[in-house]
Amino acid sequence: MALISIEGLDKVFRRGDEEIHAIRSMSLSIEPGEFISITGPSGSGKSTLLYILGLLDKPTNGRYLLQGTPVENLSDTERAQLRNKFMGFVFQSFHLLPRATALRNVMMPLVYAGTYEAALPEAEQRARAADALTMVGLENRMNHLPNELSGGQRQRVAIARAIVNRPKLLFADEPTGNLDSKSGKEIITLFDRLNAEGVTIIMVSHDPAIAGHAHRTLSLRDGELVEDRRAS
Amino acid sequence: MQVKEIVRLSFESLLSQKLRTALTILGMVIGVGAIVLLVSVGQGAKNYVTSEFEGLGTNLIIVQPGKSDRKTHLGPPVGAAQRKMTTADVQAIEKRALNLEAVSGLVLGTVSVRYEDALANITVFGTNEQFPHILNIKVGRGEYFSREEDEYGRRVVVLGQNVATELFGDADPVGLSVKLNESEYRIVGVLAPMGNKLGLDFDELGFIPTEAALKLFNDDKLFGIRAKASSRVGMDDAVAEMTEILKERRDGEEDFTIMTQISMMESMNTILSMLTYVLAAIAAISMVVGGIGIMNIMWVTVVERTQEIGIRRAVGARRVDIMKQLLAEAISLSVLGGLVGVGGAVLITYGLYFAFPYFDMRAPMWIVLPAFFLAVFVGVAFGVGPAWRASRIEILDALRYE
Repeated sequence: MALISIEGLDKVFRRGDEEIHAIRSMSLSIEPGEFISITGPSGSGKSTLLYILGLLDKPTNGRYLLQGTPVENLSDTERAQLRNKFMGFVFQSFHLLPRATALRNVMMPLVYAGTYEAALPEAEQRARAADALTMVGLENRMNHLPNELSGGQRQRVAIARAIVNRPKLLFADEPTGNLDSKSGKEIITLFDRLNAEGVTIIMVSHDPAIAGHAHRTLSLRDGELVEDRRAS
Repeated sequence: MQVKEIVRLSFESLLSQKLRTALTILGMVIGVGAIVLLVSVGQGAKNYVTSEFEGLGTNLIIVQPGKSDRKTHLGPPVGAAQRKMTTADVQAIEKRALNLEAVSGLVLGTVSVRYEDALANITVFGTNEQFPHILNIKVGRGEYFSREEDEYGRRVVVLGQNVATELFGDADPVGLSVKLNESEYRIVGVLAPMGNKLGLDFDELGFIPTEAALKLFNDDKLFGIRAKASSRVGMDDAVAEMTEILKERRDGEEDFTIMTQISMMESMNTILSMLTYVLAAIAAISMVVGGIGIMNIMWVTVVERTQEIGIRRAVGARRVDIMKQLLAEAISLSVLGGLVGVGGAVLITYGLYFAFPYFDMRAPMWIVLPAFFLAVFVGVAFGVGPAWRASRIEILDALRYE
């Protein structure tokens, strides 16, 4: 069964009287373990697609099956639970809580996991968050606040937060967009590792060097899928 | 999310902006503090009145001529009686009532009192020899006049402390004579200092036998009758007995009113309670203002933390988790305000009690807890709106908010 399958997906924004078709009747499916990059010029709808797939936004029309389950029937709480346990998100501008240390930021998904199942004891939460930070190479920066970290380090904290609940799916929206090329390479190396461990990665990027790491590239233009290319 | 985590988050957030937190809770502090303070003052006034009444002698019974139409504990209008109340009534009560320890008629009047060149205007009570017993009056020098002196209407007088001092200085006036208006009276006693009792300064009074007073004021009726029941539990029996005797002497007509010290005290307390509740209600309005202050700052918080809300939702917080978190912050603010307000007010009332021990206005426990919980309730009531709004923000709108 496909991990993700969309059919005839539409997304229409209304801005005043104007209707903007961010995505037009798009269909595609994604198998577990893929590493996909979505590319396209700005305004092509790539971020919108990512947010819909990542359950941060809802399509106007069409079907979205996540592991065979129609997402449109899910309650708000069920969507929150999927975001928490089943998927992780990495943003271009990191989106860390500025007043919380790296460790606290990474612990946050574990704290909310406690609403869906028995909460881990705090010591266990700390240990899990520390493991995730170690995995991204920040074992020496755990008690730093985000503004005490470099951009690359912040993005690695964000990745640690995204993977701390061991999700099957990782979404990334221009994860290297705000980073220098060296930091960008570190991030992409991390993604390679995670993908090798079985995490499905869907990433928006217009940087060809980064996008090239993906095994499959989806090219969008004006809300339509114009190319679906697999690396040989 | 566990309660512990929610509480930790809200305190972290409040502590990160200490000045703002302090200013926000100020309204709540003042509101709660005002409620506790005003109720305490009201309670203190009640305590004060109670002790004043009890200082008048417990088990006091007051009979006034005239019947008030409505049921009241504050007496009939003066001079409303058809039939005179006389010393014969007093004697009948004295003879026949079993539950009374003492009974006396009361005649009131103002006279000039003169000794050589010293002159004073005083209020004189015409009573019998049992009167000191009824109102707990203590004689300092000499004695109160005797039963015999009362019966024969002898011209003897007992002076209040200040009157004696004014006329005689430090000298012992017992045995000397003063002129009340134009009549010569022999001083038989001087009261010990008594001070004020319910607005009546006993140190400024003079006391003479009933018959002498009637003659002095050229009158034939009593102002009223005062009596003392033999025990507190016998109070109702004593009142019934006196009613019976007096009615019998008036062809069954009840044209008089009997009040007890207890019923008067209760009436005063009712009035003071009403006053206290009204003041507390006014103070409660200031608490609402405090609540609005909290709501205002919660709206600001929601706007400031829009991105944080988006981040939390993106990593798996439900709408209800966001709502709980912000509600917890509003409640923390009001709990903090409530604690400081109640604590401050309690401290103030205790401080005042130590400064003025005769006016016991220490905050009663029955207002402390309700005032605190009212503060918490106001916090919840005014926090719900902003918290609800925060939970409804769409994730992407929140994440993109700058």
